[in-house]
Amino acid sequence: MSQADLAVGGHTPAMEPSPFAIPAKKLAMWLFIISDIMTFAACLVAYGFLRNATPDWPRPFHSSTVISVMVMTFILVSSSLTMLLGVRAAKADDRPAAFRWTFITVAGGVIFVLLHIREWGGIIGEGVTLFKNPWGTSLFGAAYFSVTGLELLHVMAGLIALIIVGLGYRRGRYGSDDIENCGLFWQFINVVWMFVVPLVYLLNVAN
Amino acid sequence: MSAAEKRSGAGKYLAVYVCMLMIPALEAVIAYQNIDGSQKLLGMLSLAIIGALLVVLFFMNLATENRSFVLFIAVFTLFVLATINYGWTDSFRLLVGAPFAK
Repeated sequence: MSQADLAVGGHTPAMEPSPFAIPAKKLAMWLFIISDIMTFAACLVAYGFLRNATPDWPRPFHSSTVISVMVMTFILVSSSLTMLLGVRAAKADDRPAAFRWTFITVAGGVIFVLLHIREWGGIIGEGVTLFKNPWGTSLFGAAYFSVTGLELLHVMAGLIALIIVGLGYRRGRYGSDDIENCGLFWQFINVVWMFVVPLVYLLNVAN
Repeated sequence: MSAAEKRSGAGKYLAVYVCMLMIPALEAVIAYQNIDGSQKLLGMLSLAIIGALLVVLFFMNLATENRSFVLFIAVFTLFVLATINYGWTDSFRLLVGAPFAK
């Protein structure tokens, strides 16, 4: 039956039910998250492959770095909680509370980014770059900056999304499902960090 | 959402939050133990997987989603992660040394 026939008959086209009975935007965000999991998994496996195949892999992280990473983890995990509270407030149609929690999450994310950049400054100060490092092991710098850089890029993209959607939500342009989708991406960043911390930092603690 | 539902939900999320803070702390303790590297990796990876599951199930609310959707996510993600990890045998081959390995 053509669209013209439908128009003449005055019937609206039959709509397919949404897959898995969830909104299309939410499904799209989950599919994007799965694809991003693949990206991070490939990076982390490549890093693990290199580390396993290199007997003299450097272990440069001292206790000061471990403490800094623990503080960063505390901030990121706390921002996950505040994001969750924001999503709950949005679903309960409490716009002021949802906006407040979203921007507390943004503040946490900004602090995380600044601490991460400070951490990078420390390791660059020790002579580590993408192409060389003081211990002579090839690709240590490239592996470290690739994995942590990809995580940092995702955090910054998440912050930009949260700011845009948060402001739009307050103005009434976006709804609670948009806050929820941004929240899903923010939680995903937390999941990735839970693997980056032990594999990149804690397994390379200096003796 | 009633007040009782809100309180029980908040309690659950707080419990998950505390677990997620304890996991990196435990990993840091393992890092400073005088044990074999493979044991450290196993311990830390196990804790990381538990932490990731807690976030996915409770903070991303996958536990309350449609069952077929959860199955789709789980099967698809785990299958691709398994295939990505196919190359580990080659890593050990390079470490041990094999003809024409490098």
